[in-house]
Amino acid sequence: MNKKANVVIIGGGISGCSTAYNLAKKGVKDIVVVDKSYISSGATGRCGAGVRMQWGTEMNCKLAKQSIEFYENANEILEYNRDVEFKQGGYLLIASTDTEMEQFAKNVKLQNSLDIPSKILSLEEAKEIVPHLNTEGLTGAAYCPKDGFLNPFKTTDAFYQAAKRMGVEFLTHTEVLEIKTNGKKIEKVVTDQGDIITDTVVNAAGGHSKIICDMVGVDLPVYSERHQILVTEPVEPMQDPMVMSFSLNMYCQQTPEGTFIMGRGDDNEPRDLRTTSSWEFMDEMAKTVTSILPPLGELRVIRQWAGLYNMTPDKQPVYGRVKEIDKFFLSVGFSGHGFMFGPLTGIVISEMILGEEPSIDVSMLGIDRFEKGNLILEPSVV
Amino acid sequence: MRIEEHPILKFKRGKKIKFKFEGKTMEGYEGETVAAALHANGILVLGESLEKHRPRGFYCAIGNCSSCLMEVDGIPNVKTCVTKLEEGMEVNKQKGKGELK
Repeated sequence: MNKKANVVIIGGGISGCSTAYNLAKKGVKDIVVVDKSYISSGATGRCGAGVRMQWGTEMNCKLAKQSIEFYENANEILEYNRDVEFKQGGYLLIASTDTEMEQFAKNVKLQNSLDIPSKILSLEEAKEIVPHLNTEGLTGAAYCPKDGFLNPFKTTDAFYQAAKRMGVEFLTHTEVLEIKTNGKKIEKVVTDQGDIITDTVVNAAGGHSKIICDMVGVDLPVYSERHQILVTEPVEPMQDPMVMSFSLNMYCQQTPEGTFIMGRGDDNEPRDLRTTSSWEFMDEMAKTVTSILPPLGELRVIRQWAGLYNMTPDKQPVYGRVKEIDKFFLSVGFSGHGFMFGPLTGIVISEMILGEEPSIDVSMLGIDRFEKGNLILEPSVV
Repeated sequence: MRIEEHPILKFKRGKKIKFKFEGKTMEGYEGETVAAALHANGILVLGESLEKHRPRGFYCAIGNCSSCLMEVDGIPNVKTCVTKLEEGMEVNKQKGKGELK
């Protein structure tokens, strides 16, 4: 295989597929998406499937809000012949300290100023929304009814199908080995299946983004770490919102199918590319979730898995060009939230590639912010 | 259907006990599973599939396949192939995924 492309997108997850779709919609021809495994094989297909507008930085709030508004109509916009399974059951964020409640109050104020309909709830009000919530030891909650759930496989498939209909070529099971440059210009992408001649590359490689940056000598200040998830057997619907706690380190949501998906982070996780499962996670997750949502203790676990968070120092994504190489675009460092920002990622990156007027100003998310030290830390991440 | 005689295995049956299936009184033996007792009473359909509501019966018999999930004494999703029969048990076919209380 030797071919030419106007744009090569590395990574067939939500970011890559959404970028390909948006570029094709704007009339770009000869777009190639390369993935070393299958579509949504990485962090997208392994994620917790939640989407929320309740963020702590203005940028994350804006990206999430517009993405969720897209997801509300994703089936129609992408003319999908299946269903992305969007369930808008809200997110109930629970606080266990007064400091955390103060942070929620700040966040809600910011969110409301951006037309996000979140609000602070008392524990009684929280219990009305999730009757099986154990409020012992909690201090309050925040809630946004617009947050929810989407099936990551089907959502990515919807972008993939739409992009394919417009002529985008997807090369799965094709690993990028090298990116050949001449000075600041990209010449070609070398894969294990042959070369692709191009001058434009998008790095949407998720957990493997640093490896791609290393190929062109771009120092990307991100690292990847494993996050684990488990899913239970299905029962009849009983929990509308995602229940999430930053201090207790957990999130748990019932999918439309009736299963419960839950996960937590681990501060001691080594920074590498492992996606293995551990029994410690199962043990700690079960203890955490049964103390907050006791009836779930009756459920059997069907399986557990892991995916990579691509972490930046401020837990916000990196979008845009780099100074070392021309036409090398970053769409990386989502810090565990790339799936929910997917629709906006595609819009933002496609506009950058084509030099169009940005529909949302993401200049503060450029890679140069790390050098300049302009970091606004996202406080609300599990 | 029960295997009464077997060339190698010997069956030591416990005492006869009564249980109910869909309100009908039936008999089984102490020490056998709920699904075995139902099978012996000619009950082959234990539940239905979630989407198309097709009949589901005794299948893997080792608690893996979810084909024998039933409601036992009001508790849904009981694996009847690995749950032992008890005197007075009320066993019902389960409609839907079961409610967690």
